[in-house]
Amino acid sequence: MDGAVPLFRMEGISKRYGGVRALEKAELSVTAGSIHAILGENGAGKSTLIKVMAGVVAPDEGRMTLDGSEVSFASPAAANQAGIVCIFQELSLIPELSVADNIVISDPPKRFGLIDRKAQRRIAEEALARAGAADIHPLALVKDLPLSRRQMVEIAKALARKPRILILDEATSALTATDVAKIFGVLRRLREEGLALLYISHRMNEIAELADQCTVFRNGRNVASYAAGSKSDSEVVELMIGREYSHIFPPKPPRHAAAVPVLEARKLSWTDRLDNVSLTVGAGEVVGLGGLDGQGQRELLLAFFGVLRGLTGEILVDGKAVAIASPSAARDDRIGMALIPEDRKTEGLMLPMTVRENLSFAALDRVSKAGVIDRAVEQRLIDDMVELLAIKTAGLDIPVGALSGGNQQKVVIAKWLMRQPRIVLLNDPTRGIDVGTKQELYQLMRKLADAGAAILFYSTDYDELIGCCDRVLVLYDGAVKRELVGAEITEHALIASALNIHGEAAGPMHGEGA
Amino acid sequence: MNGIAGRMPKFLRRADPAVVTAFACILLLLFLGSLYSRSFLSPEYLLQQLKVASFLGVIATGMMLVILLGQIDLSVPWSVATGAMMASAAAAYGPVGVALAIPFGILCGVAIGIVNGIGVAYLRIPSMIITLATNAVAQGLMVVYTGGFSPQDSATPAMRYLATGFAIPAVPNAVIIWALIGAAMVFALTRTGFGRAVYGIGNRERAAYLSGIDTRRVVMVAFAVSGGLSAFGGVLLAGYASKAAQSMGDAYLLPSIAAVVLGGTSILGGRGSYLGTVAGVILITLLQSILSVMQMPEAGRQIIYGTVIVAMLLLYGRAPASRG
Repeated sequence: MDGAVPLFRMEGISKRYGGVRALEKAELSVTAGSIHAILGENGAGKSTLIKVMAGVVAPDEGRMTLDGSEVSFASPAAANQAGIVCIFQELSLIPELSVADNIVISDPPKRFGLIDRKAQRRIAEEALARAGAADIHPLALVKDLPLSRRQMVEIAKALARKPRILILDEATSALTATDVAKIFGVLRRLREEGLALLYISHRMNEIAELADQCTVFRNGRNVASYAAGSKSDSEVVELMIGREYSHIFPPKPPRHAAAVPVLEARKLSWTDRLDNVSLTVGAGEVVGLGGLDGQGQRELLLAFFGVLRGLTGEILVDGKAVAIASPSAARDDRIGMALIPEDRKTEGLMLPMTVRENLSFAALDRVSKAGVIDRAVEQRLIDDMVELLAIKTAGLDIPVGALSGGNQQKVVIAKWLMRQPRIVLLNDPTRGIDVGTKQELYQLMRKLADAGAAILFYSTDYDELIGCCDRVLVLYDGAVKRELVGAEITEHALIASALNIHGEAAGPMHGEGA
Repeated sequence: MNGIAGRMPKFLRRADPAVVTAFACILLLLFLGSLYSRSFLSPEYLLQQLKVASFLGVIATGMMLVILLGQIDLSVPWSVATGAMMASAAAAYGPVGVALAIPFGILCGVAIGIVNGIGVAYLRIPSMIITLATNAVAQGLMVVYTGGFSPQDSATPAMRYLATGFAIPAVPNAVIIWALIGAAMVFALTRTGFGRAVYGIGNRERAAYLSGIDTRRVVMVAFAVSGGLSAFGGVLLAGYASKAAQSMGDAYLLPSIAAVVLGGTSILGGRGSYLGTVAGVILITLLQSILSVMQMPEAGRQIIYGTVIVAMLLLYGRAPASRG
């Protein structure tokens, strides 16, 4: 620490939710002009820690000091006042308002009691420029921006509040490699300006590239602090999960000559988002969807699942053309399809409902006779799933929203596995979940494939595509631009084809997004 | 808080605080009433109140189903009146009409509900709009039918028997009917796939849809049930009063919504138990009864009635604050 006086200190912070200890005597000190990374599995207490810092929750005990004097925050506004601004994992923008409206939303400039639109626009432009996103028009509506652009707006919004400590909680999880690189540039500049940055991410390579200081959390405590770069990746992961960390990706089986195609698409098109997509997924195959974010991957999965109206082209299952008009048709036994949706909180789960109700929700027809639920059958299937996926929960009758992110995701997957699907579509299933759970999901995916399932897997994480997939289809502007098979799947090839440039010409791209 | 909860019996600890509060308010009302007159605690009075509550209970059962979906059914007033008038009207068509009077009345309510359901589920019209519209249309049709005068047909003997008879000594039939309908609703909500789907849609329609639930059909069925139960409530009321009346349903819209919400069902959908609705119905019926026994003028009754509902909603109707 070079004897630098910490700008902000937390000592002995504890927080309990009901019987669950989220934080237990946690310590943290933050120095001005540095980037401090916080690592830990989901449920390790990182989110609670920063919520305490940002005034969102009040700690049960412990003290916080800012500039050496003790502080406590009654609300997020009080924390903002003190110069602590947080960018949360969940986006907090209002889609119907413009970018400028969103940036100044908590404290708009006023003239005669009315919002001064000129000043507002100026502030927004400055903030966007400072966030390295000057290309976003301040008067554009947030709902018209893709997810990655919204994230940039989110950062600009935080900067407009003139923070001394800026907290980024998984702020890059929705971003593509180019955007991440841009943001890193911004963050480094902010560090030069003397800001203290707290950076939370599950992407190890990002942390290695960016952080000065790292603190690892496990079970609500800080277990280790070290200067960035002084520990190897596997040492860090061992600290995080508290056990030996071996091969994160399961071995791929040797490829058979030609797998029997289970799912096939012929010239699928939908508005301007999908453009003549043709593909096959064979039994026992894990096929990845790559490319930059928002190139039609999500729409493609939704198209298979019967959600999109006005789709043209053909979908074949087991070689026979099928009409899939709705998710209930897609999950029907004759097709046996499952979709693990993108956002588990709004699309995968009913958060206030119990773990039990969520687990059996997609298989209600399987567990009932004449519409009446057979509780014994339901219980048996649920027990099987909880065991198979090692779902950690304090009981089946607590709200699923009380589980950690990784366990919530397991519930989403379990509720579909209960139907024993033959075709599994996964939409970025590891977003925002911890290393330990990710590893379990990779193994599960391979296990399903080995049992004969056809798996179509979209991920924004290139490492995952490389580690998990037998083949990867790279989408660009709604069309399949390239198919990579086996050893061809490399980071270099993925990035090059994602940008729709030829692999040979992509030399200077090396290291980008790594 | 934990100390108190720890000493409570198990069923109380597991119960929804809103339901417990509603039952506590019922006891409080009875206590306050008994200060005014001992007769408030007599079995005859209580049974009479339970009978009056049954009509509201039947109607609120359907309303609860719709509110659990996060929707609302504002067509209750004229669904009630349509059920009553059509059942009475059928009675004018000879013995067959008399026999079919009750099912016909209910069927008319189901038809109104189906129109509501199609509007909400398939045409994506906000339920607040479509149900108001069908209410107006039903009103118009009934006015056309009666020519604007109070209807001349009278209730059939079967309707009167259901509303006022005693199949079991000392227990009014209306109470038995409410109990049967309530039991069926509890079973549907807790033990069937339909019930799970209702809660799922109320919590997060998108997640329910992506789980392969036919959400549109569930919404449609819920509105049809609500319309049918409103009409059935009307049939019972016609039996109680021996005939249908023009605006007989008007007094049931706010109470049915209030009963459901006071019973702890979230107005945004997805959360609530039938036991709470039972408590809400009894609470509202008692409140109305006590105010009228005290010979409060109508204006004063309305003011107190509304104030009490707002006060009780403030007491527990809001989601707990997220700050721990």
